[in-house]
Amino acid sequence: MNRQRIVALAWKEWREILRDRLFFALAFVVPTMLMLLFGYGLTLDVENLPFAVVDYDRTAASRDYAYRFISSRYFAFQGYAADERAVDGLLAGNQVRMVLIIPPRFDERLTRGEAAPVQVLIDGTFPERTQTSMGYVTAINSAVSLDQMAQALSRVRGIPLAEARQRVQPVKLEVRYLYNQSVQSIWSLAPKLIMLIMMLSPPFLTAVGVVREKESGSIFNIYSSTVSPGEFLLGKLAPYVAISIANAMFLWLLATTLFGAPFKGDPLFFAFATVLYVICTTGIGLVISMLVQTQVAAMIVASIVSIIPAVLYSGVLLPLPSLSPAASVLAHALPPMYYTNIVVGCFLKAVSWHALWLEVAVLAAYAVGLFGLGYLLFTKRPAS
Amino acid sequence: MPSPVIRVDGFTKRYGRRLAADGLALEVQRGEIHGLVGADGAGKSSLMKAIAGVLSFDAGTLEVFGIRIDSERAAEQVKQRIGFLPQGLGLNLYPDLSIDENVDFFGRLRGVPDAELAERKRLLLEMTRLDAFRLRPMRQLSGGMKQKLGLVCTLIHEPELVVLDEPTTGVDPVSRRDFWSILGKLLEEKGITALVSTAYLDEADRFHRVSLFHEGRVMGQGTPAELVARVPGTLALFRAEPQAEALPRLKAAFPQTEAMGAWLRVFADGLDPAQARQAIDGCLAGAAAPAIGLSDWFAREPELEDVFVAMLRQRGARLDTTLEAGTRARPPDAGLAIEARALTRVFGDFRAADAVSFQVPPGEIFGLLGANGAGKTTVIKMLTGILPPSSGEGRVAGAAMRSAGSAIKERIGYMSQAFSLYHDLSVVENIRLYAGIYGLDDRRARQRSDWVIGMAGLAGYENDAAGRLPMGLRQRLALGCALVHEPRVLFLDEPTSGVDPIGRRVFWDILFHLSRREGVAILVTTHYMGEAEHCDHLALMFAGRVVADASPEALKQELAGHVGRLLELQVDRPAPAQAALRAAGFAHVALHGRAVHVLSPDAEADLQRLPALLAQAGISVLAAGLRPLSMEDVFVQRITALEDAARRPS
Repeated sequence: MNRQRIVALAWKEWREILRDRLFFALAFVVPTMLMLLFGYGLTLDVENLPFAVVDYDRTAASRDYAYRFISSRYFAFQGYAADERAVDGLLAGNQVRMVLIIPPRFDERLTRGEAAPVQVLIDGTFPERTQTSMGYVTAINSAVSLDQMAQALSRVRGIPLAEARQRVQPVKLEVRYLYNQSVQSIWSLAPKLIMLIMMLSPPFLTAVGVVREKESGSIFNIYSSTVSPGEFLLGKLAPYVAISIANAMFLWLLATTLFGAPFKGDPLFFAFATVLYVICTTGIGLVISMLVQTQVAAMIVASIVSIIPAVLYSGVLLPLPSLSPAASVLAHALPPMYYTNIVVGCFLKAVSWHALWLEVAVLAAYAVGLFGLGYLLFTKRPAS
Repeated sequence: MPSPVIRVDGFTKRYGRRLAADGLALEVQRGEIHGLVGADGAGKSSLMKAIAGVLSFDAGTLEVFGIRIDSERAAEQVKQRIGFLPQGLGLNLYPDLSIDENVDFFGRLRGVPDAELAERKRLLLEMTRLDAFRLRPMRQLSGGMKQKLGLVCTLIHEPELVVLDEPTTGVDPVSRRDFWSILGKLLEEKGITALVSTAYLDEADRFHRVSLFHEGRVMGQGTPAELVARVPGTLALFRAEPQAEALPRLKAAFPQTEAMGAWLRVFADGLDPAQARQAIDGCLAGAAAPAIGLSDWFAREPELEDVFVAMLRQRGARLDTTLEAGTRARPPDAGLAIEARALTRVFGDFRAADAVSFQVPPGEIFGLLGANGAGKTTVIKMLTGILPPSSGEGRVAGAAMRSAGSAIKERIGYMSQAFSLYHDLSVVENIRLYAGIYGLDDRRARQRSDWVIGMAGLAGYENDAAGRLPMGLRQRLALGCALVHEPRVLFLDEPTSGVDPIGRRVFWDILFHLSRREGVAILVTTHYMGEAEHCDHLALMFAGRVVADASPEALKQELAGHVGRLLELQVDRPAPAQAALRAAGFAHVALHGRAVHVLSPDAEADLQRLPALLAQAGISVLAAGLRPLSMEDVFVQRITALEDAARRPS
């Protein structure tokens, strides 16, 4: 290993990245942009669902019932509609996602103690959102029903309303949300975005950076000199690893400040694991660059190889236990899942080595394996 | 006898099913400039990469500095002693780094200590006159500067052997001449051995020894003079009227007959000048047909290209086409075919074309000459209406192309640099596609398709994919596609780049036939100076401007009248001889292998005087004589005069 050669390679690469507008953007602008776009765009919370009410009863009871929905933060009231035909257009035009239809004689039936049917129309085009909003509707409706029962009980038995309430609901749930007290999805999303972006950016940069030299012919400067493969890989990739580490740290800053995610873990442990992960994903780019000949091919392969595991098999969108057995095997075979466990653990759970040593070990094995493969695939005397 | 620096035997290289090098053998001696001369795909690059240790090969032995290169480990042993410049002008350099940074990177990569690096860099940049631009990013350099920077970077670690793959392709003749003199000087000073490839056959006399490549084999090896002597014969240059009648008669007897503008150029194999004259006279007198008059007779030694073609012919290559059959002679149209009136195109603050004016009558072959980036393609694009001019006007067949309707556009044919064929379509499918684009009906499309196949010699290849054809055939297919609608004006942008000498000859024959018998006006661009002699009329372009506009003959006569004639001196030490001649006041001195070329205003006197003058500098002249001027001499003189005028404070 000759230090002068490694420094010369790294210094040349660094200056090229700074001066080439496309590379500069890829290296320094794209990761932050992705963080902002995903962070603001990919929130999984269902809130402010637009809805309308068709009230055929027009009594105090029906207005009370509707008001329970109108005052909820999960729903955004868009107004009363005259009849079902009027809401068809609203649903089709996406102006409302849910419609509450209160039939005539709602009040009368309730007073008589009969069952009072209420119809709910929900837009089912996004199953996730539909399920969640259905949950909200059911919860609000149960609350109303319980209230009604409690009021009836208190009237009949002449006991105070509070006591009647307790009688109707003998088992009371006491929920405490752990790790993410206010159940905000951005708290868990922001850390996972660090995983996602650090899976996309380093392979892309590295693969294109190396293949660019193959395509232009400047790789022959390396082939025809006495630089060893190890020196070349070290000098060539060091700037990419360094840039990616800096990016990861900046994304951490965005997650904790701009998106307000808590960071409860050990910063040193997190930094160590992140460096390992970045080396690992840079290694993916290296292996791609050894297998393809053109920048276009490098971009296509890099995007397929990085986006799919990062999005589908990492636990960022779907919880891992809900994957099919085959998908689960795949997820365990790829690095993003392990780093997801690490970021979530570090941000929200304050866990460290004792809980995550296996994840760190797997990432280390990956880094060694990928760089080893890249080293073996690199030849200074290729066949074409 | 010292052991050779490079010894190659039975070298074979395949890429998939394609055989790139087929049992090559050659030797390169210490201190020589050895040239690999041949067309694209002849196997030069494969061999050079293998010698530089950056490409593995399939069979044969390869020794460099006595070490057998058969593994990556073996190759590593000699790499520090080799400098390798891969093909492609400036492509191995880093466009975002400055000249300084590029040189530093190469130096450090090669482990040159800092102090030594600074000193060598200073010397090399000074010698190549790049020192004034040290901080300029490489991407902003001209072709000639990129080429010189590439050479500096290759030499920075003082290798004993340099391997330069087509360093002069696409560079203007002035820069090329400059490059050869710098290379010659450096190699002589340091005792470096050089292996240099070129696709220009007329550059062969720049080398001490040459290997002629053709389709993966070495056709011959030796000094340029030895190679020329291998095929005895006489090269005859003369005029004959009517030229179009004389050509087929001569061709029947002498396959290597070419029309060069108004001249005919005949290589008479195995005949001395007197015999050649007799044979040609007999041929033109003719028994049945009327006799054809001959004038302006010159006979001389053939050039390497004639010899190369003769060698290929001896091995069965054919030069004839089936053009004469089935085409009707057509008188040229009235009026001008092409007219450029002060055509100007500005990109930002760069003037790609600057007030370009010329005229092309019907039935003429008009050559637009210049280096890459001189503005040739921009002019063609403006004339064909692809690119609107910033100012000025281009007229084709009497109509302004900018506003011309499709009726006019159908009268022109255009063949671009890249040959614009669909590589996955077959030969016939390509022709039919172009016939469809030009709206030919079925019957005519069939007729024209048959004509193209006959003209291009594609019989038997009809159903092959265009991408798999040899370069020469692919080029003629592209020409056929541009001709499918029988245009009256034909634009050809670098049509012969990368094609072997046989392919180039057949191609020029076709162009000659089209212009003379069918009255087609042809505008052709090229950076091969040798090809310019085929044109009736030339415009030389430099930095966006037309710097000369006349027939090749007139340009040469003007040079001979104003500047002088060309002397060739064979000397023992060429680089010091060049310096001594420059010191003696000769402005145009060029290195050609072991010879020096000088433009002399008083040739006869200088022929007597110069050997003594050089002897004072300790240089002995082995032989001296007059040489015919080439288009390259014309071009170089014109441009250096312009550059001098621009440098002089006004």
